[in-house]
Amino acid sequence: MSDWETDRLKEDLRLTIKELSKTYEELSLLYRLTEQFSGATVDELCGMLIDEIKKQLNVETIAVMFYDKSSDLLFTKKAIGRWNSELNITPQSEFLWKVLKKGKSSTICDVSTVSDLNRLGFKSVILSPLIGKKKTIGLIIVSDKKDGNEFFAGDVKLLNTISSFTAIFIENALLTEEIQEFYLGTIRSFVKALEARSLWTAGHTERVTHYALAIGRQLGLSEKELERLRICSLLHDVGKIAIPDSLLNKMDKLDEKEWEEVRRHPLIGAEILSGLSGFYEVIDCVRYHHEHFDGTGLLGLKGEEIPLLARVLAVADAFDAITYDRPYRMRRPKSFAIEEIKRYSGRQFDPQVVKAFLNWIESSDNIVVSNSEAGT
Amino acid sequence: MPKIMVIDDEPFILMMIEDKLKRAGLDVVTLRESTRAVEKIKQEKPDLIILDWMMPEISGIEICKRIKQDPELADIPVFMLTAKGQEDDEKLGLSCGVERYITKPFSPRGLLELILERLGNR
Repeated sequence: MSDWETDRLKEDLRLTIKELSKTYEELSLLYRLTEQFSGATVDELCGMLIDEIKKQLNVETIAVMFYDKSSDLLFTKKAIGRWNSELNITPQSEFLWKVLKKGKSSTICDVSTVSDLNRLGFKSVILSPLIGKKKTIGLIIVSDKKDGNEFFAGDVKLLNTISSFTAIFIENALLTEEIQEFYLGTIRSFVKALEARSLWTAGHTERVTHYALAIGRQLGLSEKELERLRICSLLHDVGKIAIPDSLLNKMDKLDEKEWEEVRRHPLIGAEILSGLSGFYEVIDCVRYHHEHFDGTGLLGLKGEEIPLLARVLAVADAFDAITYDRPYRMRRPKSFAIEEIKRYSGRQFDPQVVKAFLNWIESSDNIVVSNSEAGT
Repeated sequence: MPKIMVIDDEPFILMMIEDKLKRAGLDVVTLRESTRAVEKIKQEKPDLIILDWMMPEISGIEICKRIKQDPELADIPVFMLTAKGQEDDEKLGLSCGVERYITKPFSPRGLLELILERLGNR
């Protein structure tokens, strides 16, 4: 082999290693992002996306713009640096719109040619589209390296890799949020239908949900647990659908047999919901929300055998039941309710939950919504 | 100039790390045969060792154990390259004196930063 050939091979090898090294760098980035991005919400994803671009490209300004179909414009979802978050981009802004519509990134070295961006005083800008599998999500605008250098082809490639990768995650997260909103909406409609049967229970569910969440926050529950508590609270009285109207709206005190029937509503509720696989924790909470801490309740569960969320729900439910009108008696004042709940701490209620309830109630005024506000 | 020794049976990984570290002005010695690792380390006396965990014949963990048992070599910091999903095994490795775990595929730039940081703290 001649010297010339050897030199060329050496040079080829050097370039190959350099190229492979870059690919490996990118691969490791994607591995890391996959781990970070899994299970994140849309807002979290946007935050992580900005952090990552800032770290990788060392730039001052990053804006994540989302496309809103109904108004046909791009609005700022999240941004750092010299960015005006009020700035919306419309189809009139042809240059930027092209990136969105064609799904191809674009680098502008002389920003003075683009009036929307010129106003912000940028020197050079990279625009990269955020496009999911089925949806156009928006675009990322990145501007001016901190060291004053211009953008290189490598920067554009890296930004595109990150944005196309993140777009898929954002798309999934958007979808998850949509589904979540849909199912919460469905549950709310369901509850409204239930409450429509009886004037007395109108607004009860929403208020109990409000109280339960407040207690849950005092107890330091995680966001995930609070979300579960919200659903439990919304659904806790679903079983009342099977209780005859004559009992729900009865003006006199219920007799022993009637009371027995009403007391069964947690079991009926759990039975109604039993088809929802994956909801078993919620179902348990519905089933046990009238258990007593000392074991004297309907099914005889005791102390921590009763799920925590059910113990929270029990206090929230009782508080609303006492402070609101019932067909058979008038509402009682808040102070009376507090005394009752204190009195039954350790008997009907979990003392730890009662303590959280008292902390919350002492720290908030006028939490009891008046009848008119409850929308009866 | 600090000397880094890299031991891995995958030639591409070796070349890539060598290229990255040399560009940063470090002295690099590479080795593919794990059987000769301890002997070579004794000979070269590097300032830091990067070991691949999974190598035929002798594993990175075994080499690390031998280094740490040798009073002459025990002070040399060891970074271990591991495959994805080996996180549970790390507990095993930690007890044998590995200072840092780096999961493959790793960022060559990130690795360089870690090395420089460690050398700066000597």
